[in-house]
Amino acid sequence: MSQVPKESAPLEGYAAPSTVEEALRLIADGDATILAGGTDLMLQTKPGGRLPYRRKLVNIRRISELRGVSEKDGRMSIGALTTITDIDNNDLLNTVTPVLPQTANCFASSQIRNAGTVGGNICNASPAGDMIVPLLVLDAEVELSAWTNGAVTTRLVSLDKFFTGPGRTIKQPNELLTRIVFARPDKKLFAGYIKSGPRPALEISTVSAALSAIRDNGKLSRVRIALGAVGPTVLRAVKAEAYLEGKTVTAQVAAEAARLAAEDASPIDDVRATAWYRRHLIQVYIKRLLENDSQG
Amino acid sequence: MEPIAKKSLIGQRVPKPDAPDKATGRTTYINDMVLPKMLYGKILHAGRPHALIKNIDVSAAKALPGVHAVLTAADVPEMFFGVGRDNRPLKGGKVRCVRDEVAAVAAESEELCDEALRLIKVEYEDLPAVFDPAEGAKEGAPLIHDNKPGNRSLAYQFKHGDVAAAEASSDVVIDSVFNVHYVTHCCMGTSCVIADFDCDGKLTIYSQTQYPYNFKMDLAPALGIHPGDIRVIQPPVGGAFGSKLDVYPFEPVCALLAQAARRPVKLTFSREEEFINAPTRQPVRIHMRTGAKKDGTLTFRKVDCLLNNGAYTSWGPTVPFVMMRTFSSHFRVPNVDIDCRAIYTNNPYAGSFRGYGNVQATYATSIHADMMAEKLGMDLLTFSLKNAQKSGEVTPQGARLNECVFAECLQKAADVTDFTAKHARYAAERNKPGRIKRGIGMASSIHNAGGAKIHKSDGCGTMIKLDDYARATVITGASEIGQGIDAVICQVVAEELGIPMSDITIVNNDSAIAPWDVGVHASRTTFIAGNAAQRAARKAREQMLNAASKRANMPADALDLREGWVVHDSDGTPVLKIDKLLREMHFSREPELVMVSEYYEPPSEPENKEHVGDMSAAYSHAVHVAEVEVDTETGEIRIVKFTSVQDVGRVINEMGLEAQLEGGIVMGIGYALSEELKIVNGQVRNPSFRDYKVLTAPEIPPMELHFIESHSSTGPMGAKGIAELPTIVPAPAIANAVYNAIGIRFFDPPMTPEKVARAIWERDSKLAAAE
Repeated sequence: MSQVPKESAPLEGYAAPSTVEEALRLIADGDATILAGGTDLMLQTKPGGRLPYRRKLVNIRRISELRGVSEKDGRMSIGALTTITDIDNNDLLNTVTPVLPQTANCFASSQIRNAGTVGGNICNASPAGDMIVPLLVLDAEVELSAWTNGAVTTRLVSLDKFFTGPGRTIKQPNELLTRIVFARPDKKLFAGYIKSGPRPALEISTVSAALSAIRDNGKLSRVRIALGAVGPTVLRAVKAEAYLEGKTVTAQVAAEAARLAAEDASPIDDVRATAWYRRHLIQVYIKRLLENDSQG
Repeated sequence: MEPIAKKSLIGQRVPKPDAPDKATGRTTYINDMVLPKMLYGKILHAGRPHALIKNIDVSAAKALPGVHAVLTAADVPEMFFGVGRDNRPLKGGKVRCVRDEVAAVAAESEELCDEALRLIKVEYEDLPAVFDPAEGAKEGAPLIHDNKPGNRSLAYQFKHGDVAAAEASSDVVIDSVFNVHYVTHCCMGTSCVIADFDCDGKLTIYSQTQYPYNFKMDLAPALGIHPGDIRVIQPPVGGAFGSKLDVYPFEPVCALLAQAARRPVKLTFSREEEFINAPTRQPVRIHMRTGAKKDGTLTFRKVDCLLNNGAYTSWGPTVPFVMMRTFSSHFRVPNVDIDCRAIYTNNPYAGSFRGYGNVQATYATSIHADMMAEKLGMDLLTFSLKNAQKSGEVTPQGARLNECVFAECLQKAADVTDFTAKHARYAAERNKPGRIKRGIGMASSIHNAGGAKIHKSDGCGTMIKLDDYARATVITGASEIGQGIDAVICQVVAEELGIPMSDITIVNNDSAIAPWDVGVHASRTTFIAGNAAQRAARKAREQMLNAASKRANMPADALDLREGWVVHDSDGTPVLKIDKLLREMHFSREPELVMVSEYYEPPSEPENKEHVGDMSAAYSHAVHVAEVEVDTETGEIRIVKFTSVQDVGRVINEMGLEAQLEGGIVMGIGYALSEELKIVNGQVRNPSFRDYKVLTAPEIPPMELHFIESHSSTGPMGAKGIAELPTIVPAPAIANAVYNAIGIRFFDPPMTPEKVARAIWERDSKLAAAE
């Protein structure tokens, strides 16, 4: 392990567009590094970081149309540049889906929350990415925009299909993640999020978990479980989800679901925690989420 | 004029004089400094634990425009330095740990330095390495230094009484192995130095050092120059905590670069470099055996300590000096047998760190006290009181415990926390169902509080001058590294001279100006420098009162100095303004200036070869009580309340005292719960604040601080040194509280959530299997 930083390629250009179209034209050649909040990018591109700059640095922070939360026809939309603090403080989200503000509140430190964006958190594609975990249980989709053949084109991709590995996604270099959308959750849907760490703040999640389900007369349906930091990407615990479908939660059911969720995960030993502890925590968290006890 | 009543500054809440500039960002720390024509320096570290250097090619680095010097061991004389004289600024022949300095460059910018370092090609041949001291001591283990057979570094023994007989007569004996871990100081300012040679070969070094005078003595052999040719300037620093109590290779390397480049050179560590290359706290394996009678009387302690020396010897392996003091004097221990050995390995190496061995030793003694009390069926308070020394007792190593209030501290801590009742209640609730378990734990310790005579002198020089406007300058040997000595000295001097604290300037940042002091360590500065300042101030006061006496036609002892005035001591009637008095003294027919000096040497003695000696002029105790909640599923520990009761001698600056105690306790809690430098196969695995967990604001518990004033007969105004006990006592208090909550002992801190969860899970699995 050398302590001498590795060389980073020099940047040739910088641009700070103020509209989506302008931004898409600038990145159309696929040779741009995109700067949003910069909270991950600055660390990754510094000498010795894992990410070399592409030829251009395109700062998208001035695109005001990409910031904010809205609802239309039962569809929720969160602009990619909405900051984590915005989400934490958003009244609409607090009413419709409090799990997102709750997650935002556990996210790093105030300073990072003020700068970091939800789009950046998703595109960084960390297996521990905090905002990804609750968005997965809300069946969120991401809108990818590009400048193709002289026009803005967009495609919607399920967040579930977006990640291909740590730091890797299906987003093409000429595409910009512009929006996160999901259906306004059913009133009977409950959702919770828990994250661990030797301390609450400034934590890269050792393990995080989110669970959502519709509870009708005690029976669960449309169960979604997402787990952070226990695999190469944030992942869905599909075996546990399938098992819970139609069940009424009892201590035994919760224990079995927890066991299955731990099977769904593929954690590793690293400097932050062992695989044993990560599996152990998954089970603790799934039980707590099923007991609707996400206060930790 | 109204009479001026006598008021005292001692015990008041006084802001640190350096605080406003620091809070508003005006302070120029050493890390901010830029000298004209200054170059930047960087070091190429080995990055491998044990290897022969087959070849180093620096030609490409030298050819890089903007590079002014490239050095390897081949370019500098083979000079050895360090506590064990086993270290060199740049390593030739072989490297012995990842941090080893192989080459260094000086260039126009840090970026150019990085580029130059990338161009240096080093060929290594890896050697078998050893990381565990027990392995390192075995026959046939890889030899780290050719002249250190068996990889043996320092060793210490102390024996007193007859341990075998004491064991035979004991009713209860407990035996445990503690493994205390690597942590590091995490100073906000990373390591930094600026070196500048003049044309005569004299070196001015801008340093973070906390011991400027012996620093010269220790740096000189690494450079082959005379210590007298080194001038040490101490700009403001972002913390030290013991990490700047030795010379480390980056300092002579920077000086060698400055010498070669004939320009000032500044060398600063990145945070990652800091984690890998700064000293750590000394890890120790402590095997301790303790005996007691049925009535709770301690009979003996037998202790075997194995220290991982790492590749070179800084202060780390000397911590048995302090550990042995704790083993032999934390409680009344009539018989002790202590054996400590440090063994070289290919790990990074430890330095001094706040608490200096006592953090490690107290973890063992305070947990053993809790275990022993439980085994005897006594409550911990009763057991502790039974074995607590009283004033006048002399410990096996010859420490004379004057003004000892250990028992008062224990009683107070138990009273204010309702300790005994809560402890019994939580223990009874331990095995009932419930996810969150509460516990309360108590720990205590003893530490030197009147300096520590480990050098030939433990003294401090101070000079005071007053100008024509009654402004005083105090030139003291005591360094201000953030601990708050400037405020204490201002208070002490203002108290004697009757002038406002704001009229006092402290000068203590230049070895060419300030008189000698042994350094900031051993909780000594308030005690030693405070005494020196008070004595100097009294000389100035006497001179001023004598002069006033002539002018007022009154005996000097009938006068006092208050709020800028010479007054009648009896009723405070003003006689003469102090500034006017000083001008009259200055511009008279027999002119005199007020300028005085004092060298204070505490009445302590160095240890003899058997480690016996009253090495401090005062000793002090602290008792901590932690109340915790343990989440038995996740293993997370939350400290609900933290209470400290400490013998401080006398409060001088209440605000500074609180800050020192709170900061120290936070460090101690981090040691107990979250901080660990993870060194695996000689590599530092977590060299960042992302993975090295220092406590942040949300984890800092509510604290209740109680000061017991024992009024030291030797301390300034009765004060004792206070700065290390706050860090020493928290970890075992928390460990004992965790035991009270869940019934599991942790002999190997930190008590991370994973470690706690695993221990609970393993115990419960065993219980389930047994059913």
